[in-house]
Amino acid sequence: MSASTAFQPTRREDVRLLTGTGRYVADLAVDGCLEAAFVRSRLAHGRVRRVDAAPARAVASVVPALAAAALPGRFVVPPFGQPGVAEGRDWEVLAGERVRHVGQPLAVVLAADRYAAEDGADAVVVDVDPLPALVGPQAAAASDVQLFDGLGNVVVEQDHGEPVPQEVWAAAHVVVEATYTQQLLAPVPMESRAVLAAPDGAGGLRVWCSHQAPHRLRDNLGQALRLPPDRVRVTVPDAGGAFGSKSATFPEYLAVALLALRLGRPVRWVEDRAEAFSAHTHGRGQRQRVRLAADRDGRFLALDLDVLADLGAYPHVGVVVPTQTALMATGAYATGHVHARVRAVVTTTAPTAPYRGAGRPEAAYAVERTVEALARRLGADPVELRRRNFIAPERFPHTTPTGRTYDSGDYARALDVAVDALELDRWRTERARRRAEPGARPLGIGFCSYVERTGGDGPLLLQENGSVEALADGSFLARCGTSATGQGHETAFAQVVADALGVDTALVRAVDGDTGEVPHGVGSFASRSMQMGGAALHLAARELVDLARQRAVAWAAAAGPPVPAGSATWDAGRLLLPGGRWIGTGELVTATGELRADHVFRQEAAFPFGCYGAVVEVDPDTGEVEVLRLVAVDDYGTVVHPVITRGQTVGSLVQGLGQALYEEVPHDGDGVPLLAEGLFDYLLPTASEVPPFVLRETRTPNPSNPLGAKGAGEAGCIGVPPAVVNAVADALQLDDPDLLQMPLTPARVWRAARAAGAAS
Amino acid sequence: MKSPSFGYVAPASTADVVDALTTGSAAPGGAVVLAGGQSLLVELHHRRVRPALVVDLGRVGDLGGLAVAGGELHVGALARHRDAERPGAAPGPLGRLLPRVAEHVAHPPVRARGTIAGSLAWGHPAAEWGAVAVALDARVDLRGAGGGRSVAAADWFRGPHRTARRPDELVTALRLPLPPAGAGVGFVEHRRTAASYAGVAVVAVLELEGPVVTSARLGVVGAADRPERAAAAEGFLRGAEAGEAAFARAGELAARDADPVDEPHQPADHRRHLVGVLVRRALGRALADRRSTDEEEDA
Repeated sequence: MSASTAFQPTRREDVRLLTGTGRYVADLAVDGCLEAAFVRSRLAHGRVRRVDAAPARAVASVVPALAAAALPGRFVVPPFGQPGVAEGRDWEVLAGERVRHVGQPLAVVLAADRYAAEDGADAVVVDVDPLPALVGPQAAAASDVQLFDGLGNVVVEQDHGEPVPQEVWAAAHVVVEATYTQQLLAPVPMESRAVLAAPDGAGGLRVWCSHQAPHRLRDNLGQALRLPPDRVRVTVPDAGGAFGSKSATFPEYLAVALLALRLGRPVRWVEDRAEAFSAHTHGRGQRQRVRLAADRDGRFLALDLDVLADLGAYPHVGVVVPTQTALMATGAYATGHVHARVRAVVTTTAPTAPYRGAGRPEAAYAVERTVEALARRLGADPVELRRRNFIAPERFPHTTPTGRTYDSGDYARALDVAVDALELDRWRTERARRRAEPGARPLGIGFCSYVERTGGDGPLLLQENGSVEALADGSFLARCGTSATGQGHETAFAQVVADALGVDTALVRAVDGDTGEVPHGVGSFASRSMQMGGAALHLAARELVDLARQRAVAWAAAAGPPVPAGSATWDAGRLLLPGGRWIGTGELVTATGELRADHVFRQEAAFPFGCYGAVVEVDPDTGEVEVLRLVAVDDYGTVVHPVITRGQTVGSLVQGLGQALYEEVPHDGDGVPLLAEGLFDYLLPTASEVPPFVLRETRTPNPSNPLGAKGAGEAGCIGVPPAVVNAVADALQLDDPDLLQMPLTPARVWRAARAAGAAS
Repeated sequence: MKSPSFGYVAPASTADVVDALTTGSAAPGGAVVLAGGQSLLVELHHRRVRPALVVDLGRVGDLGGLAVAGGELHVGALARHRDAERPGAAPGPLGRLLPRVAEHVAHPPVRARGTIAGSLAWGHPAAEWGAVAVALDARVDLRGAGGGRSVAAADWFRGPHRTARRPDELVTALRLPLPPAGAGVGFVEHRRTAASYAGVAVVAVLELEGPVVTSARLGVVGAADRPERAAAAEGFLRGAEAGEAAFARAGELAARDADPVDEPHQPADHRRHLVGVLVRRALGRALADRRSTDEEEDA
């Protein structure tokens, strides 16, 4: 193979990631590193009588194993989210008094390798008195058993939007009611959680962690360990996915960091898959009740959404999720009255956390399934019904009744593109043919028009830091406060900076996910990296150009005849001066010192949108669903790197299929997750399950972003589930939307088909 | 998910394997056989088994491969699932059946390592080879401290992960009788994803004289806690005219006699219903298989 035809990676990360030379936390070679294994609760709820870690020492442990009693007083996970939520609800690093979910850490064992550490963990004696399990938010909300003594199980109660007046419901031509379950999902990144902490030799701590928010982790660790933030450095090495599940400061991280400091030795913990299914956070977990009212012409009059959310055992990062659902309850429509009520409840299963989409898939599902149920009730075309109710393009910026200000949108156009790409007429003809033919397998068509929210919410998340520095060798270093966990930031950020500087991308190196390189940052979640971090880098690069021009004028004056202020022009990394003189940025740095621009970019959340369409075939005798065609139309604003964005769409689309058809963390009545066979029980879609799909885009630039970018990364998780489930409901011609609950297991679809009279 | 420590031997002969199993099985934790390792290693990593001794078959020279002799397909203890997936692994109807079954076993990397005999020995109640074994009246050959013996498939499975194997015995081979050349074979499986275990799977072997069924063999997994024949359905089919009506009735009988296990996403009533649907469909495929081979012969 000649050099010119050699494999050219689309992303600079890919050569190392695809040839096995990436370096993840588990790969870091650190002398004298101890490996940690946690002893975890096998009960969902109970009072801890005794945790005797001493026997572990005899078996394997090179240092004494630790239980809660050996930790500093009140060593707890730093609170997150609404003030007051965590008050009286301490999340102990090692449970000393009470366990509240299967998998909660009770003790930690350190040994020279993980095998010995697990031997030690096996030897720890645990005595826990069982208490009643509270499985699911309904049971927990109704129970007299208090998960935290003296406090109710309902942790959050909120209203968003004004309650819908009774007379609106009474006067409506039609009101559709539905109840949906958003099942608990396991995030299953390819790399589970991982952390390595090592003393830095000067009283501080070096931490490597597979994490989405290293700055927050740094601050939390410093606070918990009473170290100033500048004595903790967190680096995110190569990371194998996160999907929202790696943004918290987990108990295991605090335990590992504490032990590294105490022992003066490096300590590592790498979560295994079996631990992850019970001890790592879950996503989704809502019971939703929706009412949608319309007039005779199908105009939406009112929508009411009641969300009962499962926070799991400890209210932490998961608290933000149901709020997000409520805020997005308006969807893409000009509905006059929209009200959402949220109650969020603690239960005895693993804490919930944001998972790809984080509240928006739940909102889109509640709205979009109900819209199609309404269409069926009215005998209306679901496509036409949507068109009639969309917020019109000229009404942006648009503030919704639930308090969101959508920046821009053209929802009808996205729907038109989806209708076209799906070849709707052809499939409708086929559907009619099958409905007329006895014994033909039913075919159904479903859509989802979604509005997404990206960038972040709240004062802490509305900004991101970027800096660009010219280096003496003529190259440029871009630093960003985001944190890559597989998205390709090295490639995309280099492109942003190279474009702004007008230089070859090969001259730009981009780093993020390292608090030592970038002292301030927010992180990567809410699809914010390009919208926020990319914009910060773009502006920093522009400022660097201005700075370099000024510096070149000063240099010119020092080195020869002065030139007028403002007379230096930037030309692809060179500063051109009057009289044919010029200097490259590298020489300028050598001659005049550090040349660097820092920018803090601030922006309100953006609201990408799109439309998904699905065609499915159902085998009513077995309940099997085959997705024949899937169309995704996404509007991410201006797309900076189309290949990476496409990858985000495909990945999230497949995860959306997972929620629709396959994935769920079921628990028995005692709160034990029923996933003993791991990935044989928790079914992820694989290449074999991916249906034929078509991706299209519309591009409505973000009006308040210098790149025109909105977030891209979570849309498929939002658009696919309602589209697919709507298509199955259409295939079976179901009048009752409640008959289909995700995941659409064959057993559930078979039952629904029987209820609808379509099966044997 | 790291295994506890265990003893390990890799003997070079079947006799030495039996010796190791005999010694090892007397120790606390007992002895286990490592063939393809696709189930054992998972169990070890979960620490659900803590054997004193792992006896690796990898160095035993004469345990591999598929061979036809005396009207049977001999499946050696180290024959991989992949070996049965290759066309031409056996002559006639069995040669058509095996690849259709094998492609349903887990995914390609597992099929490349995992063994057919190991699957029988592990006794997972959803394993496809169990349906084949009972449908064909296969025999499981064993060698133990007291010598060799052979167990009929019908007597082999005692429940989930329980078989007739004694702790000192090695499964040396599985012997599958070749169905007559004119038989039609069908295999249908219900599973949730391409890599998941079977919820229900059915092997059908159909022999006909003209339109009349002279013999029907139905091996089913998922209908009970172990692979079973659908005996009432088979009895009904003998002498019946092959076709949709008879196959539907056979399905009803098989569903009636099923005693399926409830699982989180596989409730017993749905499973029972699936037994009926899949028996009907497997018979339909067996009939189509028989007809398509007739046509080939005509051509």
